[in-house]
Amino acid sequence: MNTGYNREKILHLSLLLVVVAIIGRLFWLQVIDSDYKDSARNNAMRYMVQYPPRGEVYDRHGEFLVQSTESYDLMVIPRDVEAFDTTYLANTLGVSIEDVRKALSKAKAYSKRRPSMIFKQLPKEVKLKLDERHLVGFYTQYRTSRTYPRKIAGNLLGYINEVDEPTIKSDPYYRMGDYIGKSGIEKSYEEYLRGTKGVKVELVDVHGMPQGSYADGRYDTLPIPGQAITCTIDAGLQQLAEELMVGKVGSVVAIEPQTGEILVMASSPSYDPDKLVGRDLGNNYMELLRNPRHPLFNRAVMSRYPPGSTFKVVNGLIGLQEGVSRASDLHPCYGGYTIGRGVKCHSHFSPLNLVQATANSCNAYFCYVLRDILDNRAYGGITKGGFDKWHEYVQSFGFGRKLDSDFWDELSGYVPTSEYYDRKYRGSWNSLTVISLAIGQGELGVTPLQVANLGATIANRGYYYIPHVVKKIAGRDSIDARFYRKQYTKVDPKHFDPIVEGMYEAVNVAGTATRFAVPGLDICGKTGTAQNPNGADHSTFLCFAPRNNPKIVVSVYVEHGRWGATAAAPIASLLVEQYLTDTIRRTDMLQQMKEMTIAYPMYDKRAK
Amino acid sequence: MTNAPSKPISSAPGGQPAGGRLFASDIDWWTVGIYALMVFFGWLNIYAAVYNEEQAGIFDLTQRYGMQMLWVGISFFIAISILLIDGKYWHMFAYPFYFAMLGVMLFVLLFGQEVNGAKAWLVFGPVKIQPAEFMKFVTALALARYMSAYNFNLKSGKALYYIGLIIGAPVLLILAQNDTGSAMVFAAFFLMLYREGFGSALYVVALMLIFLFIISFLLEPLPILFMVLFLCLVAQGLANRNWRDTGRYLALVLLLGIGVFTLLPLFGAGISLYHSMLAGVALSVPWLVRYAVRRHLPNLWQYAVLFAGAVLFTGVVDYAFNNVLQLHQQKRILDLLGIENDPHGWSYNVIQSKIAIGSGGFFGKGFLGGTQTRFSFVPEQSTDFIFCTVGEEWGFVGSLGVVVLFFFLILRLMRMGERQKEPFGRIYCYSVAAIFFMHFAINIGMTIGLFPVVGIPLPFFSYGGSSLMAFTILLFVAIRLDASQYDESARKLL
Repeated sequence: MNTGYNREKILHLSLLLVVVAIIGRLFWLQVIDSDYKDSARNNAMRYMVQYPPRGEVYDRHGEFLVQSTESYDLMVIPRDVEAFDTTYLANTLGVSIEDVRKALSKAKAYSKRRPSMIFKQLPKEVKLKLDERHLVGFYTQYRTSRTYPRKIAGNLLGYINEVDEPTIKSDPYYRMGDYIGKSGIEKSYEEYLRGTKGVKVELVDVHGMPQGSYADGRYDTLPIPGQAITCTIDAGLQQLAEELMVGKVGSVVAIEPQTGEILVMASSPSYDPDKLVGRDLGNNYMELLRNPRHPLFNRAVMSRYPPGSTFKVVNGLIGLQEGVSRASDLHPCYGGYTIGRGVKCHSHFSPLNLVQATANSCNAYFCYVLRDILDNRAYGGITKGGFDKWHEYVQSFGFGRKLDSDFWDELSGYVPTSEYYDRKYRGSWNSLTVISLAIGQGELGVTPLQVANLGATIANRGYYYIPHVVKKIAGRDSIDARFYRKQYTKVDPKHFDPIVEGMYEAVNVAGTATRFAVPGLDICGKTGTAQNPNGADHSTFLCFAPRNNPKIVVSVYVEHGRWGATAAAPIASLLVEQYLTDTIRRTDMLQQMKEMTIAYPMYDKRAK
Repeated sequence: MTNAPSKPISSAPGGQPAGGRLFASDIDWWTVGIYALMVFFGWLNIYAAVYNEEQAGIFDLTQRYGMQMLWVGISFFIAISILLIDGKYWHMFAYPFYFAMLGVMLFVLLFGQEVNGAKAWLVFGPVKIQPAEFMKFVTALALARYMSAYNFNLKSGKALYYIGLIIGAPVLLILAQNDTGSAMVFAAFFLMLYREGFGSALYVVALMLIFLFIISFLLEPLPILFMVLFLCLVAQGLANRNWRDTGRYLALVLLLGIGVFTLLPLFGAGISLYHSMLAGVALSVPWLVRYAVRRHLPNLWQYAVLFAGAVLFTGVVDYAFNNVLQLHQQKRILDLLGIENDPHGWSYNVIQSKIAIGSGGFFGKGFLGGTQTRFSFVPEQSTDFIFCTVGEEWGFVGSLGVVVLFFFLILRLMRMGERQKEPFGRIYCYSVAAIFFMHFAINIGMTIGLFPVVGIPLPFFSYGGSSLMAFTILLFVAIRLDASQYDESARKLL
C-alpha cells in the first residue's frame, strides 16, 4: 500500500515530534530550571531554629546582673489550625479575644503554611498550660528572656529586642524574630552572649506533619549557649550610686585604677531594666524615650559636659612637662586673673604654688600656666604650634577622643583645635582669647568616663588602662589585649606628685572639699564647678583613694548641682567609703544625699 | 526478527491439525523485553510512591505495591496464556467480546460503583475492576475484524457509519460514566484510521481547530480575525498566484471596515472595531463574488467557507467551553494555557507534579529518596501521577529512559503492524500503538504541564490491576498476532 508507506512515515514523524517535545520539556524542568528544586525544599523541609540560651551577665563578685530565664514564643501554622477555644487561649495568655483574632489573621496574611510567632516571651507556666490542651496548629518555641535581679545599671547592661530589617539584610546570621542586643553590654558583647543558633531540618509531609529528621540529622546542628560574661561592675556599689543619684540628673563613674576596670557606671535618671523585656517593651521604651530627663541617654559616656576645675590639673601637668612652670612657682591671685577680659576667682590666700593652687582650685594660677604653655616661644607662639602642642597633650589624657573602651555608645567629647579657633576668630586670636580653657571651661566637652580616666591616670601617676566593663568572658582566657596595656600620657610620671599632693590637701588639709575627708582613707579629690549656659553650674568631683596604691577612682557629675562640694563631692566620698570599708559610718550624710533633689526646669519645662 | 533463541518453548495445546504452533523465534522478544522492563520499573516506582518505613514487606497485600505485585503475577500468567492461545481465535471472537463488554459497560453504568466522580467500577469483594480499560481492547479487536473484511471499503459511507458506531457506542457509555479521560483515549483510533487511509483533510481541519481553540483563549477576537483573514488570503494567494488582486482585496476590506467604524457613530450607533471589521468583510462579498465569477476561480468559495467557519468557530468556542465542559475541565485548560492559576486549588496537582519532577534534577534523588514522593505532596501519585516518582527519584536520566522505552514500544508496535500480512493484524497493531501513544503522551504531558490534567493511567507504571491487565492483554495479543503469521496455519492460509 503506497499511501500506507507515506502515512507510516508521517505517523513516525508525529510520534518523534511528541517525544522530542516531552524530552525537551523534561530537560527544561529537571536540568535547567532550578525553581522547582527550591519549591521542593520549601515543600518538604522545615528548618526549625534551635535557639540557644543567651549568655548571662555577672558582676565582679559573681552576682547575677542579668539572668536568662526560660520563656516561650507561641507559634502558629495557620493552615494546620483546627477549631479551638479562643476564649481559653486568650485567658491563658492574658490577652483579649480580639488580640488573639488579630494575631491569627496577621499570621494568616503572612503565610498559611509557614510558622509565625503570635505571642512572645511567655513564661513557662503559660507554656505548660497550653501544652495540656494540645492546640493543633500551635506550638511553643524555646527562647530565653532576660531578668534583672538587682534592677540596676539599665543603660550599662542594655536591652535586647527583635532584630530590625536593616540588620537582617546586612548580617546573614540574623533571621526574622531573632533577638539582638540593642544597647549597652548586650550590644557590645552580642557576639559572645548570643551563642550560636542550631537548626533541625525536619521533613514534613503534605499535611505539615513532621516525618522525622532529614538525612538522619546529618545537617542538624545543636545550639551553642551564649557565653556568660563577668562584668567589672560592683553590683552593691552600683546600686548605692544609683540610689545616691535619685532626684538628681548626672552620672557616676568609678574605676579601679590598677586595672582600668569600671566599678560603677551610673547614669541618672535610671530605669528598671525589667521594663524593657517582654510584651510591654515597645510601650515602655516609648515612655522612656518621651521622658524629658532622657533616662535612655547614658550620660556617663555620651554627655559632653564642660570639665570645670578638675581640668586644671591637666594644665598644671602640661606646664611641668613642657618646662614652662615649676611646682614651686608662685602666682598671685587677687580675686582672679586680671589680664584681658579676666577670670574671677574665689577668695583664698596669695600667692600660691601648684600644690596650693590645686588644693584651693585657684583660677588665676592656671591661667598663668596655660598662657605660658600656649605662648611658648619654643614652638613659635600659640598659632604656630603652641596650641597644637597643648592639644596633643590633652588628647594623650584621653580627652577629645574615644577611649576605645568596650562600651558601644561611648562618645568622644570635644577638645577644640587651633583650626577651630582660626575659623571662629578668623585667624586673629591669642592665648587670652582661649583663657577659659585654663579652668576647664570654654569649648571643652568631656564625658564623666573621661574625667574618671583622668583620675585613674593621676592615681597611677602617669598612666591608665583603657576603662572597660567586662572582666571575663566564659570560655576565654582573657579579654582583649588592649585592656592590659598601660597607656602613658605625654606627661612624665615624675610630674604627678605635686598634683596628687594638691588633691590630697584639697580634701584632707585645707581646700575645697575638706568636709568629705574620711580619716584613714586618704581620699585625694578635686572639686569642679562647671559653668554652663543652661542654668546653675554643674557640680563635679573627681577623687581617688587611698593616696598610695589607690583602689578606686570616682568621678561624679551632678547637673546643675552648683558647687563641686554641694552634691558631687559627698556622693563620691560616700562611694569611696563604702568601697574601701564596706560600710558607711556617715549615715546622716548618706541619708541627706539620698534625699537631696534638684529642680530641673530646663528638662521639665520642655516637656510641656 | 531478533536473535532470540530459536528453540520452541512450547507448542500450542489441543489439536495440532488446526495449526497454532508457536515458535520462540516467532515472538518479538524486543517488545516482551520492553514490557518486562516497564512492569518491573513501574512496580519499583509504585513501591517508592507508597513506601513508608513501618511497612516494609514487599508482599504486604494491604499496601499498593503488594497488590500490584499480585497484579503483575496475574498479568504474567495472562501474557503467557495469550502467547499459547492460537491467534486466530481473536479474529473469531472479536464481535462476541465487543458486545459482551458493551453489556458489561451498560451494567456498570447502571449498577457500578462511583470512584472519584466516575461511575466506572465493578466491585467483586476486595477487587475493583474498571471495564473501560478492557473496552479499548475489544473495540480494537472489533474494528480490526470489521475493517479487515474482504469487501471492506474505507471510502464508502457504510464503512464510516459502522466505524463510527463501533467507536461511538463505547465512547458514549464511558462519557455517561463520567470518565472523560478514558473516552478521550478512543480518539487513538483516528490515528489508526489515518494509517488505513482516512481522508487527510479531516486531520488538517482537526489540527486547525485545535490551533484556533488555543489562540481563541490567548488572543482577543480582533487579532484572531485579522490572523484568520490573513491566513486565508495567503492560502488563496498561494493557490491562485493573484497576489496583486489579493492585496487590493485586503485594502478594500480594511477600507470598508474603517469606514463602518468611523461613519456609524455619526448616526448615533456605537460599534466595536471587531464588528466593524466583520461588517467590512461582509460588505466586500459582492466584489468577491464578481471577482470569482469573472476570473473563473471556484476555489475561492472554499476559502470563503473556511474563513467563515473559522470565524464562527472562534465565536462559538467560548460558549462551548463554558457550557459543554465541566468546571474542573475548564480550569485545567485555563491553567495549562497560563490564563488562570490557583496554587492551592485546581492548579495544585500540576504545580506539585512539576515540583516533584523538576526537583529530581539530572540524576534524581535516588530510589526512595524523593521527598515530594514520600510525603505525598502529589495527589494520586501511585496512579495517574506515577511519572512524578520517576522524575523525582530517577531524575532526567530516568524520565528519559521511560520516554525512550515508550517511544521504542510504540515504534515496535507500528513495525509489527506494517509487517503483518493480513489487515486484521495490521489494524489491531496500529490500534494498540495508538492507544499506547495516547496514554503515554497525555499522561506524561499532564504531569509536566504540556496537557490539561486528564485522569488516565501511564501503561505498566500506574497502580491498578485493571489497567495493567488490560494493557498486558492489548500488547500480548499484538505480539501473538505478530508471531502467528509465521505459524503453519497462517502459512497455509497464504
